[in-house]
Amino acid sequence: MDIKSPFSSPASGRSIPVTTSPAGATLIDIDHVDFYYGASQALHDISLKIEEKKVTAFIGPSGCGKSTLLRCLNRMNDLIDGTRVAKGQIKIRGIDIYDPSVDVIELRKRVGMVFQKSNPFPKSIYENITYGLRLQGRSNKSDLDAVVEKSLRGAALWDEVKDRLHTSGLGLSGGQQQRLCIARAIAVEPEVILMDEPCSALDPIATVKVEELIQELRTKFTIVIVTHNMQQAARCSDKTAFFYMGKLIEFADTRAIFMNPANAQTEAYVSGRFG
Amino acid sequence: METPRPTSHSDFLVNKKRIRVLGLSLDDAIKIFFGGNAVLSVIVLALITYFLFQEGFGFFGQNHRNLLTYRQAGLEYVDFIRTQESGHIALTRYLSDLRLRQYNEYVATQKMLPSAANDALAKFDEFAVQYGDAVESIRGMVSDLTEQATAIKTKFLIAEDKKIERQQLLAAGKIEAAAAVKIETVDFAAELHVLKGILPLYKETNADFAKKLDAALMAAPKFTTPELSARFDRFKELTRDYLATFPSTTSSLETWDYTRPVPWYQAISAFLFGREWLTASFWQDWYGIVPLLMGSIMVSLVALVIAVPLGVGAAIYINQIASAREQRIVKPSIEFISAFPSVVLGFFGIAVLGQSLRWLSQQAWLAWVPGFPFSERLNILTAGCLLALIAVPTIFTLAEDALQNVPKAFKEASFALGATRLQTIIKIVVPASLSGIISAVLLGLGRVIGETMVVLLCAGNRIAIPDFTAGLAVVTQPVHTMTGIIAQEMGEVVRGSIHYRALFVVGIVLFFLSLGINFIAQKIVRKYRISIG
Ligand SMILES: Nc1ncnc2c1ncn2[C@@H]1O[C@H](COP(=O)(O)OP(=O)(O)O)[C@@H](O)[C@H]1O
Ligand SMILES: [Mg+2]
Repeated sequence: MDIKSPFSSPASGRSIPVTTSPAGATLIDIDHVDFYYGASQALHDISLKIEEKKVTAFIGPSGCGKSTLLRCLNRMNDLIDGTRVAKGQIKIRGIDIYDPSVDVIELRKRVGMVFQKSNPFPKSIYENITYGLRLQGRSNKSDLDAVVEKSLRGAALWDEVKDRLHTSGLGLSGGQQQRLCIARAIAVEPEVILMDEPCSALDPIATVKVEELIQELRTKFTIVIVTHNMQQAARCSDKTAFFYMGKLIEFADTRAIFMNPANAQTEAYVSGRFG
Repeated sequence: METPRPTSHSDFLVNKKRIRVLGLSLDDAIKIFFGGNAVLSVIVLALITYFLFQEGFGFFGQNHRNLLTYRQAGLEYVDFIRTQESGHIALTRYLSDLRLRQYNEYVATQKMLPSAANDALAKFDEFAVQYGDAVESIRGMVSDLTEQATAIKTKFLIAEDKKIERQQLLAAGKIEAAAAVKIETVDFAAELHVLKGILPLYKETNADFAKKLDAALMAAPKFTTPELSARFDRFKELTRDYLATFPSTTSSLETWDYTRPVPWYQAISAFLFGREWLTASFWQDWYGIVPLLMGSIMVSLVALVIAVPLGVGAAIYINQIASAREQRIVKPSIEFISAFPSVVLGFFGIAVLGQSLRWLSQQAWLAWVPGFPFSERLNILTAGCLLALIAVPTIFTLAEDALQNVPKAFKEASFALGATRLQTIIKIVVPASLSGIISAVLLGLGRVIGETMVVLLCAGNRIAIPDFTAGLAVVTQPVHTMTGIIAQEMGEVVRGSIHYRALFVVGIVLFFLSLGINFIAQKIVRKYRISIG
């Protein structure tokens, strides 16, 4: 796949060096980040390194700041008035994404997102998937057709919808809609996919399908997934970060977090004693 | 909440004490109050509808009689010849226009003095006089016949009035007085015999008329430019076409028969497709809704052309782009516009808007705008601009609602895929709320088409179908509207007269128009609710 220089901004021409670094190299470096919604601080001094082509899970009780941190990674929080990263840096391949010279539009093309509640556009399946490409000015029909098929196959949805690509995306079942959203995200070939509790609104069978999908996607993408579900984190992820009250309590290999947590709070949480 | 909890104590009271008035609890009273209001409004609505129809439907019978009288009293017969005469008038108007052009040519291009130009036109004038005078004998005939037919009609109408008088007396039990009322029955056959006796004379006069026109054309003047010559050729062609209609006029006169019945549907079609609304005329009243309908439509159209971009644009800006502070200021301001009484807007339209639009139209640097300059201060454009002001708050508020209803998740998804704000608005937000926006526009249209005061004051109130050959300049013409005519004429008409009832039917048409618009808007809104989920 042809990876254009990401995070480049026309103003400065700065771009994140593209290296086909081996799985496990640091892709996103979150460095002592404080984050505020207006006057209320939601993240306290978070530092963690997200590795390339791995699945990193964020766990923790509700309201502990998992979504907030996730949305910092593609600057979705910019859309909310009064938010700011007050301290620290988030670097992707060494580039500070909050630097004024960074083009946020470009950033979001490289860092895709799947939301908690599936949100296909009220358009056809085909148009949903090609939306991001059309934004980039790509309109060649056979080109788009190819991407649609590839993305839907990538999201394990092709066989189910190939005969009704031009019907509304809202006509799919909940699980299918969520996979459509994943297909839509991967269609623009991002490097990172952020998933905010992608299965919380799905039934168990649809959940299994999405989890299987995540296992397939990990070979191509770096995935950060927020989840409420301990088993899911244990099954899907390589690394797990446990948050509590806006602080990162523990970050380690998933196996270590679940088998042998270093912190008593982590231990209490993963064993289901609170949260 | 009133189910008592199971309890071992039988004296455990959970029922609260209820106040009862006339055997009704408070709950019942509330239910009756609100239910009663609902029922009352339904009843009132039904009564209004019933009243509209009851007053209106008599119109068609009366209109049928109106048309029948038109035929029986021979007015129709006379109008055949009158139409011929007015055809000639149109041609002479064309001729005057031609003279003016030639005159301007002489003065402006050839730099002749006005007197010299007039001298040069002497031959043309001779021709024009000859051409114009040819119709004199026909014109004389028409005015004689008009008198005769009017006399027959008056006689007939008096007789009808007497009949009613007698019936009223009989109903009041005054039999003697009733017998004393003399009713002169009109013998149409005899009366019309005189009228129709004119036919041989007409044929003779007409042949003479045709000959004179032919002769005039032979002695046609010359023109100095090919353009004018072409125009004159066109004129000759028109005259020839005109002459070609003579035989059909004659045959209409020959075959005309006052006893031929007027089909019932003509009472309706003459209303729905009638191109003239002419009342209190000494000759014949016509109740054709087309000019009024056209007036209403044109004014509303202009209003929408202005109000839709403004209202929808403002809604998009306020909902999607503006800061919270701007929202706090702009939203109430736009909604405040609807607080103006429409009569105040009407004053504003007459005193300020119409005046300034006319002033603007007379500026030399704006002469390229179609229809500029115009002299009528009150016209479609003036009324349309003001109606736009009335429609903007409706469209803005409803469109803003529709935009507000677009789930935030769509926008987030779009941003997350790397869309800019503008792309998100154009590709996601507006399409997702499109049906809501369309219905906002339709409801704005409903608001505008029913508006009365502004159009009455500012549309110019000329009852005529706008001349669409003027192209875009059509908007500078004055019109009259359905609402305007009702407001203007309802106060002056005799209750129960055909004119009175005609106004009611106009009201019914308006009612159905609004109903239709609202219905479609509702349909669209419902569909949109389903599609967004
Ligand atoms: N838009 C917002 N405005 C203000 N505070 C917010 C907003 N979103 C989240 N928060 C607050 O930030 C904290 C972290 O929230 P969030 O990141 O959504 O938690 P999680 O995803 O872990 O459940 C919570 O205390 C929440 O109330
Ligand atoms: Mg969350």
